[in-house]
Amino acid sequence: MVILAQQNIDVSGIITDELGMPLPGATVIEVGTVNGVSTDFDGNFSIEVLEGATLEFSYVGYAPQTILATTQGPFNISLQPDNTLEEVVVVAYGTQSKQSIVGSVAVISESDIQSQPATTITQAIQGSVPGINVINTGGVPGTNPTIRIRGIGSINASAAPLIIVDGAPFNGDLNSIAQEQVASISVLKDASSTALYGSRAANGVIIVNTKSGKKSTPTEISLSTVYGSSSMATPMHDLLGVDDYTRYYWEAYSNNEQYENNLSPAAAAAAASSNLVSALAYNPYGVPNPVDNQGNLTADAAWSTDWKDVMLNTTAYKKQHGLSVSGGSEKTNFYFGSNYLREQGQIKSTYFERFATRLNINTTVNDFISSGLNMSYTTSKQNTPNQSGTSFSNSIQWIYTIPSYYPLYKRDAQGMITNDGNGNPLFDYGNNNGQIVNGVRPALSNENAYGAILNNEILKNRTYVSMNGFIKIDLLPQLNFKSNILYERFIFDGSKYTHNEFGAAASVNGRVSQDRDFTTTLNAIQTLNYSNSFGAHRFKVDAIFESYNRENNLFDAQGTGFLPNVRVLNGSTIPEGVGGAINQERLMSAITRVSYDHDNTYFAELSFRRDGSSKFSNDTRWGNFYSLGGSWILSNASFVETTDWIDYLKLKLSYGELGNNRGIGFFPYLQVFDTGYNQLDNTGVISSEFVDPNLTWEKTALLNIGTEFTFFEGKLEGSIEYYNRESIDLIYNKPVALSTGNESIKTNVGAVKNYGLEFSFNSLVLKKENLLVDLGLNFSFDRNEISDLTQEEFIEGDKKWMVGKSLYDFFIRASAGVDPSDGYQMWYKDVTTNEGEKTGERITTKEYSEATRYYAGKSSLPKMVGGFNANVVYKNFDLNALINFSFGGYVYDSVYAGLMSGFSAPGRAGHPDLSRRWQAPGDETDVPLFLSSQNDFNASSTRFLFKNDYIRLRGLNIGYNFKENWMEKYQLKGLRVFFQGDNIFTLQSHKGIDPEQAISGRTNYRSHQMKTFSLGINIQL
Amino acid sequence: MKKLFGLLLVLSNVFTVGCEQDYLDQPAPTESVNSSVIFESKAGVEAFMSGILRVSRSQFERTDAGGLYSMYFAREVKGNDLIMGFQWYLFDYENDNREPTYTRTTFSWEFPYSMINQLNLYIDGVKNSSSLSENEKEGLLGQGYALRAFYYFQLAMEFQHTFAYDTSLAAPPIYEEPALEGKPMSTIGALYEFILSDLYTAVQTTPETRQNKSYVNRNVAHAMLARVHQVMGNWQEAANAATIARQGYSLNASEYAQGFDDMNASEWIWALPQRSDQTNYFYIAPHAFTDNESDGFGLAFWNKDFVSLFSPTDVRNTFVDLYGVGEGNDYYARASSKFRFSFSADIPIIRSAEMLLIEIEAKARLGNENEAASLLLQLQQNRDPNAQASGNTGNALIEEILVERRKELYGELGVGWFDAKRLRRGITRTGNHRVGSPANLLPDDKKFFLKIPQKEIDSNEYIDNSVNSNR
Repeated sequence: MVILAQQNIDVSGIITDELGMPLPGATVIEVGTVNGVSTDFDGNFSIEVLEGATLEFSYVGYAPQTILATTQGPFNISLQPDNTLEEVVVVAYGTQSKQSIVGSVAVISESDIQSQPATTITQAIQGSVPGINVINTGGVPGTNPTIRIRGIGSINASAAPLIIVDGAPFNGDLNSIAQEQVASISVLKDASSTALYGSRAANGVIIVNTKSGKKSTPTEISLSTVYGSSSMATPMHDLLGVDDYTRYYWEAYSNNEQYENNLSPAAAAAAASSNLVSALAYNPYGVPNPVDNQGNLTADAAWSTDWKDVMLNTTAYKKQHGLSVSGGSEKTNFYFGSNYLREQGQIKSTYFERFATRLNINTTVNDFISSGLNMSYTTSKQNTPNQSGTSFSNSIQWIYTIPSYYPLYKRDAQGMITNDGNGNPLFDYGNNNGQIVNGVRPALSNENAYGAILNNEILKNRTYVSMNGFIKIDLLPQLNFKSNILYERFIFDGSKYTHNEFGAAASVNGRVSQDRDFTTTLNAIQTLNYSNSFGAHRFKVDAIFESYNRENNLFDAQGTGFLPNVRVLNGSTIPEGVGGAINQERLMSAITRVSYDHDNTYFAELSFRRDGSSKFSNDTRWGNFYSLGGSWILSNASFVETTDWIDYLKLKLSYGELGNNRGIGFFPYLQVFDTGYNQLDNTGVISSEFVDPNLTWEKTALLNIGTEFTFFEGKLEGSIEYYNRESIDLIYNKPVALSTGNESIKTNVGAVKNYGLEFSFNSLVLKKENLLVDLGLNFSFDRNEISDLTQEEFIEGDKKWMVGKSLYDFFIRASAGVDPSDGYQMWYKDVTTNEGEKTGERITTKEYSEATRYYAGKSSLPKMVGGFNANVVYKNFDLNALINFSFGGYVYDSVYAGLMSGFSAPGRAGHPDLSRRWQAPGDETDVPLFLSSQNDFNASSTRFLFKNDYIRLRGLNIGYNFKENWMEKYQLKGLRVFFQGDNIFTLQSHKGIDPEQAISGRTNYRSHQMKTFSLGINIQL
Repeated sequence: MKKLFGLLLVLSNVFTVGCEQDYLDQPAPTESVNSSVIFESKAGVEAFMSGILRVSRSQFERTDAGGLYSMYFAREVKGNDLIMGFQWYLFDYENDNREPTYTRTTFSWEFPYSMINQLNLYIDGVKNSSSLSENEKEGLLGQGYALRAFYYFQLAMEFQHTFAYDTSLAAPPIYEEPALEGKPMSTIGALYEFILSDLYTAVQTTPETRQNKSYVNRNVAHAMLARVHQVMGNWQEAANAATIARQGYSLNASEYAQGFDDMNASEWIWALPQRSDQTNYFYIAPHAFTDNESDGFGLAFWNKDFVSLFSPTDVRNTFVDLYGVGEGNDYYARASSKFRFSFSADIPIIRSAEMLLIEIEAKARLGNENEAASLLLQLQQNRDPNAQASGNTGNALIEEILVERRKELYGELGVGWFDAKRLRRGITRTGNHRVGSPANLLPDDKKFFLKIPQKEIDSNEYIDNSVNSNR
């Protein structure tokens, strides 16, 4: 070897874009080495290389350029946007160029994700993609939202999309993934893009790809910190104060004596005055009759408990810290990310704490083998005092149930606060049996929700570990083999403590219950990939074999009898229960995909998957799923190429049949006897509900027609798509006559159709030297329709199902207002002839059970959902806003209905709207008279059905990027400070609720979402 | 060479995975067993029976609609002896809880029918079992028939006028076998015929022995039969059945004041047991609602007119002035310590004193007044050492027996309501009731029964809304 005296030289220059603007962070590499640098904020670079070496300049979205290193210089490199560079999209089992996709795939890119630094990735999806409905029910941080893609295609099986993380079905909680560590999210909506997932694809697929490093780039470190403060995004319903509550209850009692029990008005009023305290059991007024015969208060209340104030956080704090290191040599790249989050919730003491770590390494072993490993470890801890459900200690139920009339602290019969031995006030659990006044609360006795928050504990610890390794072998230039092994373990560790002295477990000296659930998934995927081209014809064939095994290992134990402050089962004196089970599910699949393209203009794709699932019997477990799709890029055809305002135009069509086997348990087809019903020392079993032994897959047929376009030199781009998705053989608990002793039988019943139009537009309105304005709008119209039933109709709660109607059309009694003569609530009923035929006429009735139920013409599904986003960059400032909206849906506000019960039972909270009640004959109002006895006035009817439109500013991010020269001295590559606002503004048509309600459209006792104001800083080293 | 190696790797991989032919057959349920395990052995069938009995005391719907005990307590609060504070069972206390959409209505229908379905599966499975002996089958079936009749009897009581009113009236549908199709309403006559036929088989075949007092043995079957005959007014049959039912379950006054929470008490014939690891927590009635001193809900009190019936030396006089308000008219002036609440308290369903009283009433009505009076005095003296014979005859004796039933059985099964219904008397609230005359029931008042639940009308093609017209 001859050693030539080559000299090291310094090469410097500036890299700019096509407009001459400097490109900071562009890469300069000495080709064939690991020697490389990045440009500074002004686009300047300087690199020491051997004379004559080749230098490559590159920047994302721009075509790379190379020059020979010479001493001439400085070089002025102007990179041009790379239109030919194909945007690569993550799809099922691989990636594809955006152009070649024949189906419907929406992508949320890395830059979209980074512009809205949210806590979880689902927040990034909401409002960003048309045809997807994300609903966050409740304000407990760390809770997963409900996600529906293109309507609701299943009733009893899961209607949720399949989540794929780095190639493997994900069985953990989505909130265990830190948004910061995500590179892109693809939402697959049509059959051709999801068919490869076969039996699990019917509800769409969301593919999350996590970050990886880039080969041949210098190591980069990124640090970020965000601090925020949260409060309720929308106010809760207003509630009556103690004085109004007391006077109104008196009125209800008096009315009841007068109108129901036929006492004279004077006698009724007297009875109400003398019985008020005994009915309400407590007395904040300290006088025997707090309300006189005229209905006026005779004293001042010693307390008026504002339960909201007691239990809600006015400011909840949030902090998040992130660190990532990434880079790569010529053969190996890596990404390491670590993220810490702690967020408080709406109810005091609620918090979510998460630590998420991820390491991703890929390496090229030799010229034909490459391999990689992606590992993640997430651990989270959540403290969640009850804030949903029917437990007495549910704080939200408490706020909406217990009037201000009842005290927070225990009171003696005279109303004085009772203290413990240390002089601290005791909470009132409403179970002071020893005294008749301020003794036993008529509602939710033996509990105090605030006491439960402080004394009890409901902890949920989750640990999530995944390892995802692959080896790829290039057998021929056109043929490669890839083997993926994906291992995932999700550990749920729930621990509950109920206090030994106060509340529900006081009589057994406290209770500890623990749950430990292990979910282990092993997924093996073998892929053979062949691609070749013959002239303008290009082929790609994938053959995939997949096996999937999920095991659920459950264990729980419960014990009572604890000493004070002992909160572990070892301290238990009496075991109360122990349980456990192991459930397993397997899936075996053969998959193939053939794609063809002609001259980058015509594309066709065929997918086929055969799945065998252990969830069904031997005879019904195999299913075939397929799709066909094609697209035509008109803009590449000669007759369009001449039209100069069309930059890009594509038409696409796909059809396929998919399956759904999720959300139906492990062995839904087996008629079995359930264990665990022991009678003292004897083993006991009972028969499970009836099932159909031939139960099989739900199937979905999905048609997609769409167009994608870019017009006016990139000024406007977008897509319009129509879909029609029909799900047949729905797995449903078909109601059977109650008197058979079965509520339902699980079988394949009927079909439901979802169809709709989706629009997505994006416009680069302005791009000048110092100003960039980019606006986007997406929305969809989705309809749901029952297309087949095996019987004429079902009544399902407040919905009735029949062909031609939606699953979500309310079918309830129609309110006919309040009768001005007596103040009673009225409803409509059909007039029928003696033969039972309807005459078409309808009259009012005061008997609720006689009233006819009608389709209200209102659905809980919104008619239109969508989002609007804006991205504005001005000099060093940038602003990113994301708004989402939902129109045309209705909500049945059962919480409000409860607050409008009009004192039929004592000790139930009321809404200030009650002031409009009927008081005397002739009163025209929509609120019936108060009656302190059981009545149907607030029973389910159109009276409480409300329009639920909303617009929400989901995210607002305003940032400043420092581009100062002084930063270089401190080796800072980037510095950004920003303000982030989440849910900071909501416009809603029905107040008092969180507008994001369960799909069924019935409100329940749940906390609201939070609005958060945060400040953050991001440093690149 | 290298590439060959790679190809081999690929093939071996495909081969290994592809060869596991039973890969999809391996997963099997671990939380359940299939029917062959249940019906092919006596132990299996007994496990099913244990499960059925366990479910009868479960937490079916909500705190006041939990299991059999909730049906009984809802009857108790409708009468004149108990005063319910503002607590669960509030609207039952007001005799205003019978509309088709209400929880009470739905529960009182759905719960017995779900028990009947399990029993039909039980009976069907035992009948068709190929490995049980005929002798084994007979004993196992007897328990099934007894319980099925018992739950149909509850439906008859809750959903129509009493038997004596009109046997042609529409009554709940009868299912003899497991069914998935609804059936039309039956009639009271047909329903009682079905109940009797089940019970007649049961009293012949149910074993004498049992594992513990929560199971059905021949005494229990006879006790169920005695109650049915008592309602039907078949006095000789009622007397016969009651006599057999109480054999071996002697009176023991000393156990009366011990909290009514232990089924080992000698008088208890049939019970719902609890244990700290098999508890219904705060659901259990009457204990959680009538015990005003422990940690239950409390707030059930007793009518001063009822309390005044007890002499101070009567062991059943468990009444206390818990709040120190004197002998006044405050509805909460008289609490009772009869039932002691805890998570492991057992619940009485049938006791021998009730059987004795059925026998006494039957004998009195059959004209055998001397024997009736002497048995009555026997009971009265067991409860109160100072009890004296009343010397009553005729109607006065019958009335004395009915009062004795209330004094003996208060809180347990709704005796006041049961007697008022079967004897077609009304309920007139007296004394210091919180809700007085508005809750009165006239003789044969429709409020003695519930409407048919909307859920049944919605799901049964043979029953429409007209079933509730005039109900």
